[in-house]
Amino acid sequence: MRIIVTTTTIVLALASPAFAHAYLDHASPRVGNTVAQSPREIVLWFSERIEPAFSSIEVRNEQGVAVSSGKASGGGTQLRIPVKTLPPGTYKVIWRVLSVDTHRTQGDFSFRVGP
Amino acid sequence: MFRNSWPLAMLGVGLAASATTARAHEIVGNRFFPATLAIDDPGVNDEMALPTVSASKTGDNPSFKQLDVSGEFAKRITEDFAISVAPTWSRLYAPGGLTMNGAPGFQNLETLFKYRLFKNDEHEFVMSAGLEIEWGGSGAQGVGAERFNVYTPTIFFGKGFGDLPSSLNWARPFAITGQVGYSIPGVSKVVTATVDTDTLEQDIDTEYIPRVLNWGATLQYSMPYLKSVVADLGLPDFINRMIPIIEASFQTPVSNTATSGTVTTGTINPGIIYTGKTYQVAIEAQIPVNRQSGTSVGIIGQLHFYLDDIFPNTLGRPIFANNINTGTPMLGR
Repeated sequence: MRIIVTTTTIVLALASPAFAHAYLDHASPRVGNTVAQSPREIVLWFSERIEPAFSSIEVRNEQGVAVSSGKASGGGTQLRIPVKTLPPGTYKVIWRVLSVDTHRTQGDFSFRVGP
Repeated sequence: MFRNSWPLAMLGVGLAASATTARAHEIVGNRFFPATLAIDDPGVNDEMALPTVSASKTGDNPSFKQLDVSGEFAKRITEDFAISVAPTWSRLYAPGGLTMNGAPGFQNLETLFKYRLFKNDEHEFVMSAGLEIEWGGSGAQGVGAERFNVYTPTIFFGKGFGDLPSSLNWARPFAITGQVGYSIPGVSKVVTATVDTDTLEQDIDTEYIPRVLNWGATLQYSMPYLKSVVADLGLPDFINRMIPIIEASFQTPVSNTATSGTVTTGTINPGIIYTGKTYQVAIEAQIPVNRQSGTSVGIIGQLHFYLDDIFPNTLGRPIFANNINTGTPMLGR
């Protein structure tokens, strides 16, 4: 039992400050939600700091056509991309990020514009 | 009692799939497969589970309480290949143990060699193959550790349901994992000779060591997946880190069963996993499926560290790796 406590304590001590895989924490527009009007940009917040130069966001409409109007940028835990004026419909956001500890993660989600 | 109780006769084999061994975690596309407690998850990673603690009443006759404290350290050699070692310390309470007075001691050391065969991010599917070896003679006979090795080749798989249509959005956070293994003991029988002190007659007891099918599955509902992929419902962060889970783990003797019988034993474990940034905490009930599997509901808990996140540039990365921590599955993605 002493070995377990000692080893666990060592791991916890050495683990600070710890980095981790960057998971999507939340987004604007919110994941799976409906907004009444077209957003000007898509903003993603991650659970860890990311490298914006090695991270990207794609936004596609139901036909698979890209609707973003620039490159993704950001800093810290945030990544954003401007979008064209979006007519009512469902849009898919595809993100790929590199966290500062060099872990790559990716994911996607949808949101809807409309009444 | 210890030798003649058939569930214990399978200790050397069944422990290869015991519920006290710690398990791995895996990321496949949008899906995070957490480390599970009763069966191994399909992934390959750098991690440490310390401790895993379980308490239960065995299926022996008479039944006795057993406390297990185990750990596991898993290290990736390449992106897709890892080796793990898992010691377990047991405390058997009376009337358990060779002398029926209870006994403490280590079980045989277990080593798992595991290779990720296939990973498909889009369909959240992953499959691995492994060989687990229980090193005979490395543990204490007083707690049932056998003197022979046990080899268990195993297939592991995981499937997330994120590829379901949006009309079934509620079901997309579900995932299943499973494993099927075949435990092959290094000997087919153990012969024990005893002498009756009154009559001085010799008694020969032959115990046949069965080959055992180790199989199990999990059904899990990922709240992190619900929030980040399907729908952010604005729930508290604590809830969004939960993964309710049901695990099932079974052992079925399939050959050389003359003394063991062929009854399937196992437990069904409902529980919950809380996932932090660099660790997870899990607790599950252990419900025996029949009398031979246990006489009351047990409990198992685990603290598990993601070493790939804690030490991303040293201990937590493969020994032979690219600079970027991306997997390179053998059969494509």
